[in-house]
This record gives sequence, structure tokens and C-alpha cells, in this order.
Amino acid sequence: MSNAIEVKNLNRVYYSYEKSVGLLSSIQGLWNRRHTEKSALSDINLTIPAGQVIGLVGSNGAGKTTLIKTLSGLIPATSGDVKVLGFNPFERKNEFLRDISVLLGQKNQLWWDIAPVDSYQLLMNIYDLDVNKTQKKVKELADILNCTHVLETQLRRLSLGERMKMEIIGSLLHDPKILFLDEPTIGLDIVAQTSIRNFLSNYVKEKKPTIILTSHYMDDISKLADRLVIISKGKIFYDGSIEKFTQKSVQKKRLKIIFETPVKENIQIAVDINLIAGAKALDLEVEPAKIADTITRISQKESIQDIYTEEIDFEETIREFLKKE
Amino acid sequence: MRQFFKRNLAFAKLGIQTNLEYRFNFLIDAVVQPAMTGSIEIFLWLALFAAVKTDTLNGFSKESYLAYVIWSSFIGRVAISWMYEHLMMEEIETGSINAIILRPMTFFEYYLSQLLGYKFIIYFCSMLVPLCVTLYFNLPTDLSRFPLITLLVFYYLIFVHAMSFLTACFAFFLNRVRSFTIVKNFTIYIMSGELFPLDLLPEFWKNLFLKLPFSSGVYIPVGYVTGRLGTDMVMQGFINTTIGLVVVLSISYFVWRKGLGSYSGTGA
Repeated sequence: MSNAIEVKNLNRVYYSYEKSVGLLSSIQGLWNRRHTEKSALSDINLTIPAGQVIGLVGSNGAGKTTLIKTLSGLIPATSGDVKVLGFNPFERKNEFLRDISVLLGQKNQLWWDIAPVDSYQLLMNIYDLDVNKTQKKVKELADILNCTHVLETQLRRLSLGERMKMEIIGSLLHDPKILFLDEPTIGLDIVAQTSIRNFLSNYVKEKKPTIILTSHYMDDISKLADRLVIISKGKIFYDGSIEKFTQKSVQKKRLKIIFETPVKENIQIAVDINLIAGAKALDLEVEPAKIADTITRISQKESIQDIYTEEIDFEETIREFLKKE
Repeated sequence: MRQFFKRNLAFAKLGIQTNLEYRFNFLIDAVVQPAMTGSIEIFLWLALFAAVKTDTLNGFSKESYLAYVIWSSFIGRVAISWMYEHLMMEEIETGSINAIILRPMTFFEYYLSQLLGYKFIIYFCSMLVPLCVTLYFNLPTDLSRFPLITLLVFYYLIFVHAMSFLTACFAFFLNRVRSFTIVKNFTIYIMSGELFPLDLLPEFWKNLFLKLPFSSGVYIPVGYVTGRLGTDMVMQGFINTTIGLVVVLSISYFVWRKGLGSYSGTGA
């Protein structure tokens, strides 16, 4: 399998104007401005084979979007070597742009004042697509996404979920080899999220494009990605499979205890964990070695109706990790 | 090349389509605004001639001035553009430019074709007003000269767009550059001859302005159809516009490249 993306020692620094609080500093800023440097990506090395789906995860400001912007050619790298489909993305050659698609969940890629069908017509002309084939494709995709009824309504009149479905159709019309999806389900309700997630999952199976996906919804990542890349403070913290990450990170299990009657008095379970009088159940994360001890200590004071232990899922593992950052 | 024309025709249609979406705004822009501007100027010149109690001014008759002002408000409406300049600035300021530069097309052609498409419609819709006034008052106008000035005006529009593009490019560095547009448009308003015919200026300034491309937008085309100027001046207008275009495009190319280098993909 050939590589779709090759990144060596990529660095990206942003320069910005720093302003202190108040009117006086605004006036001073007319002639004297202080500029600061912020390293958004630091020494990134990444190789992505064609057809792989990468889940890019990190907290806000970690560098995910900057990496997507650099790989798609929106911004140049400050230093390092970036090759996407064999091109330097920042040169933005038409041959390169025809093979990629960028979907930024917080931005419209289609035209606000016209109906999606008109936008697709425009995209056909921009990408020089076959009219009949493309129209057939629009119909098929709209049927799958269950949004045929809004194809002729101006984009500005659509709901966020409908708009995102339209954006997804628009981004796939030219069969891109690489898809950059930055928060494709942001702000959507659970039904729309699931519908888009299922659609993308089927699309990946059928067309096998290379996808770089960022999302704050870990379900998106766990259901779609083959490989997980975690970015923290501009550096790659983890690069591997989701399963390995979960195994490596999980050192605790979830323990749930349901009491027969509400707890009569406060019980100290650990140094910083207390079971408060009146509680009907307990739900906490404990190290596997301490589970038996915890249950024994509680059962000596209260009658237990039921006990459950379960693995901590991927979403929680990531959340825990991001919290520690 | 076929692909280039195909997509630019689509952009021109987009320019027309998006503007027709807002029908009231289109009506104001295409008919009401040139009618209002033309009426005000006509009353001003009528008052001026009544006050000075003369039949000619600087060698031209009252009818000649009336024909000039009614056609200059129409041609000026077509040749002066700020709407797409604001849109281009907004795209850069807000980061919506991302959707354009990551597709196989250029930002310059995308807006140029929209501008030409929109102005083409405006040109024919707006023409009704000055045409009716000209016929009603029997003002001096040679309608056979329109094909040539239509060419000049649309060629000049490319120059206008190049200036708008250059102004918008400064948004990469300065974020808010709308004040540039106001200063630029006011300067062009005078130098193009839309505010008053350039014949009224002292000889030095008139000669200077005629050497600049701006007079090709209003003064030369209007002077030509109203009989003040000959074909030689129209040809001069084409040459001046070409020189202006080369200069502005060269600077724009440099500023655009620098701007993209410093762009941080705002808002994405």
C-alpha cells in the first residue's frame, strides 16, 4: 500500500499581536505592538498509507486543526517536509486540489444564498464532472442520508443537521482520494450524528478513501478510525490502534454497587472518596487490585443488593487523558 | 481552456443568481439608484445654468451637460464596484476564503466572473432610465457608439476588479481594510469624471487624469456617446486601462503571495 501522506519534522509557528487590557494599551498599540510566537505543531512525523482512516484527537488548541490546515495546503509549514499524494500541499496545484476534499464542520463550503442542487451544479463545473453521473450520485447520496426533500431549498434556510448532510454530499461529489473532516458532527443532535456516522462508515467501506478525522465525539473516532493519533501541545503523544491505547491507558475498572437501603452513615472508601449517608448506589473507578478490598469494606457496614464491574470505555479513557493534560 | 471558460461561465451565472435572490435589493441597485443619482445631478446642473444665465459652459451646451450627467450616473453605476470588494475582504477576514482556495480555481477569477455576470445584467436593466430621459429631453447621444463603449466599460471593470482584489489582499495583514475602499472609491469618483466632466478641471489636472486609467471608466465612454470625445480617446482609454491592469496585477500577485504566506486559516 503506497503512502498518501508523509510528514517529516513538521513545525508550525503562529505569530500574533499581544494586547494588554484597557483603553490605554489600545492607544499605545497604535505605535508600539508586542508580538508573540506560539508553536502550534512541533516536530511532527507521520506516515499515512492510502485508504487508512485516522482519528485525530486532542484538546482544544492541541494542534489538530493546524495539522489539517497544513496537510490540506491552507497554511504553509514553518519548517519540515510535507507530502500529500506526492504534492507539496501549499503549492495548491489543481491536480492536488482535485483529489482532496476539506470539510470544516464550523464553516460552510457550499453557497449560502443558493439551493444545494445549484451548488452541486457549480461544483460539477469547478471539478469538470460528468453531469449525468454526478446528478445520479447526488440522488443516491441524498437518498442514503434521507435529505432529498431539501435539495432545492436555499442553504441558509436549512437546519444545522440538514446543512451538514448537504456539505458532506458536496465534499464527496468528485470522489476525493483524501478527505479532511474537521468536526463533521459538531453541534448536531444524536440522530443526525448517528446518521452521518453510519453514512461515513459505509462510504469508507465502499470507496476506501484516506480520511483524517477530528471530532470531540469519541464515538465518531471509535466507529470510523483504523488508527488513533493523539496530539497534545503540538506534539504527537500517541500513534497506534484504538485497542492498544485503551489497553495501555486503562489501569482502572468501573465499580457499581447498589444498596438494599440508603446508606445510613458516611463511609470513607479512599483518601479522597467518601460515600455520603443517604446514597442508594455507588459508581466509581478503582484499580482492579483494590476492588475486593473496597467491596469488603462497604459490605461490612451496608447490605449490598447488586455489584457490577465493567471496563472503562474509549471515550472515558480519552477524557481522562485530556483532563490530565 | 474549455474547462476555464466553463467554470467561469458558471461563476458569472452565480453572480446573477445570488443577486436575483434578493429582488428588492437588485431593483434598487439596477434602477432606483441610477435614477436617483441622475435626477439629483440633472437638477443641480439645471440650477447651475439658471444661476449663471448662460447657454454654454466651457464650450458645451446645457443639453450636453444634461446628457453627460444622466449617462455618467448610469455608466458609473456599472464601472464602479464596491460590493464584491467587501465580499472579498469579508472572505479573508472571516476565513470563508478557505472553501475557495482549497478548490481547483482562483479567488481572482471566482469574483471577477461573478462581477462581470452581475454587471452585465445591471448594464441592460439600468440602461432603460437614461435612455428614456435622453429620448424625452432629446439630449445629444449617439446610440451607434454604444458597442465600443460597452467593450471599454467591461474591460475597465477587469481593472476595477484588480484594484478591489489588491485592496482585499491587505486584509491578510491588516484585518480591517474597509477604510481603504472609501478613500479609493472617493478618489476614483473624482478622477473617473463621474462627479463632474473632467473638462471643468484646470488643464494640468485634466491632462493628468486623462493619462490615468480611471477616466476610461466614466469620462471617456460618456464623452464618446455624448459627442464630446472622438474614437482616438476611446483607444487611449483601452491603452491606459491595459497599463493600469499590468501595474495593479503585478502588485496584486506579490501582495497575494505574501498574504497567503502569512494567512493562518482564520476561524477554521
